[in-house]
Amino acid sequence: MIGGRQAVWIVARREILARGKDKTTAISTGVTLVILAAIILLPSLFGGASKATVAVAGPGAERTAQTATRIQKVFDVKIKVRRVADDAAVRRLVGADKADGGLLADGGKVIVAGGAPDGVVPALQQASRTVRARAPDPPPLPVEKLDKNANDRKGFALVALIVLYGQLLGYGIWVANGVVEEKASRIVEILLATIRPRELLIGKVLGIGLVGLGQLLLIAAGGLVIGAASGKVHIGSAELSAVPIMLAWFVGGYALYACAFALAGSLVSRQEDVQAVSTPLIMAILASFFLSFQAVDDPGSTFSQVLSFLPPSAPLVMPVRMIVGGAGTAEVLISVAILLVAIYATVTLAGRLYGAAVLQTGSRVKLRGLLG
Amino acid sequence: MLEIDGLTRHFGATTALDGLTFSVPEGALFGFVGRNGAGKTTAMRIVLGVLSADGGAVRWRGEAIDRRTRARFGYMPEERGLYPKMQVGEQLVHFARLHGLQAAPAAKAADHLLERLGISDRAGDKVEALSLGNQQRVQLAVALVHDPELLVLDEPFSGLDPLGVDVLAEVLRERTRAGVAVLFSSHQLELVERLCDAVAIIEQGRLVADGKVSDLRAKASRHRWELQLEGEALEVVELPDGQDEQALLDEARGRGRVVRFAKHEPPLAELFRDVVEAKAAA
Repeated sequence: MIGGRQAVWIVARREILARGKDKTTAISTGVTLVILAAIILLPSLFGGASKATVAVAGPGAERTAQTATRIQKVFDVKIKVRRVADDAAVRRLVGADKADGGLLADGGKVIVAGGAPDGVVPALQQASRTVRARAPDPPPLPVEKLDKNANDRKGFALVALIVLYGQLLGYGIWVANGVVEEKASRIVEILLATIRPRELLIGKVLGIGLVGLGQLLLIAAGGLVIGAASGKVHIGSAELSAVPIMLAWFVGGYALYACAFALAGSLVSRQEDVQAVSTPLIMAILASFFLSFQAVDDPGSTFSQVLSFLPPSAPLVMPVRMIVGGAGTAEVLISVAILLVAIYATVTLAGRLYGAAVLQTGSRVKLRGLLG
Repeated sequence: MLEIDGLTRHFGATTALDGLTFSVPEGALFGFVGRNGAGKTTAMRIVLGVLSADGGAVRWRGEAIDRRTRARFGYMPEERGLYPKMQVGEQLVHFARLHGLQAAPAAKAADHLLERLGISDRAGDKVEALSLGNQQRVQLAVALVHDPELLVLDEPFSGLDPLGVDVLAEVLRERTRAGVAVLFSSHQLELVERLCDAVAIIEQGRLVADGKVSDLRAKASRHRWELQLEGEALEVVELPDGQDEQALLDEARGRGRVVRFAKHEPPLAELFRDVVEAKAAA
């Protein structure tokens, strides 16, 4: 006889070998990396945007900015000048990412946002020199940079969101398919003559999850390498921390969804019915995904906060808020605690119903019938 | 010995098993016979722990069955199941390990068994690439790979060609000679009659007859006589209790020349029909 842990491991090992040998695993990793490379190398998301807005207050500042628009070609930017009332307004715009740069003290100081195109500051410096040309060898303007990496972090959060969404959905469906494969081929009957339903369930979820985690690590490492090599992404400690955040929330989200997908799969007997029975779960992941986008722009909003506490959406919204930087430690801990309770409840429920459901062939098994 | 003792099981309003009792001795090839829906598969599933019983008990060597005991059972369900995309050899090793074998002995047992079943050259093939007959052999190998003490096989002969039947029968006999208890269900009654040391016939979840086929036959043939007069067809005459068959013979001789007069030895199929009809009539 084998112990429970050993049974779980033997089942998990088979899943890892089967999924690892499957060509689709390698293909999906490659496709994800290609998409990632495209996202990173496209100018809109990380740095490199050639269009830039410069906020100005006062005639001197405006003259400098206008001059900059005449020489901007040299610096590979396209500057749009925006007039505002005073220096405070300039600061506000740049601080809120509504403008890439601004001129303070009537053209005496440059302020620039984190994600501003590279050419903005040199263009403004050169323009200022031109305007002040009568003075002998004018000194360069002082430059103030606002939160240098805010934009890069948003990019990271967005990439993490897209990758996490793909992993949760893809591997969840894989679990459901795997369960139905065993049920449809009736191999489950031999398995359950040997091991407990719970061991089979956990082994399967664990094995497929480890493949998903490994793939996620590969994607994260690949993405960092592409980003660093492109020179477009600043990779500091805050950015590197996005990787463990993403991995940890994949583990939590996957544990929750995979058990639910396994239970869904155990209700049907044919591969064709998997889609129908897992639709509610797919919708939950899809909805969480789309609702998470606003958290990238405004991680501190009440809406984002609420979503990051709800178990179905937390695994997508919370990592976004953490990476962008809008979630307090207490919030993260509460969200994790709620998620753990939800995972425990799902695993317990699935473990109880799985064995009964998976042996009933024929028409779709009713959840209510199992509970009664 | 496997003891099935008063098993009951209900599915909603239907009663699948209704106090089923019989036992399978070690070293015996035991046939399990009954109509579709009589409860054979349910009983087998309960023995394997795949289903739970509502009442009654199953014992192996006098003790209640638990996980530890079940690891030494081999099972072939009626609806065959293998991982279609997994290699034959790997699949056997996987199931051997689930039954508690270490990696090396599991690989050795798998190799040996594939050799015995004549499919060692297919060890590296995916199951889905095999013919149905070979898939059936792999299915049997899965049940045998951990060298079980008890084999429970649901319709193991269905779908086999005559040569396949012979190979399977020989493999099963080999096991019983080694002391293994083999319980198998089948609708092929001539086959059961030819192979089995003993049978159990069930109907509507209850045992209606069990024992050696020869004993069952002797019991049933007590009142039945085959009688043939010259130039006439053979008839089977059933005598009422206590009536002497010699009187029947005398009466027949009065009618003509008797060319055949013998005790009727019914085939299993006839015994089966009789007991099942008697049960249905009751």
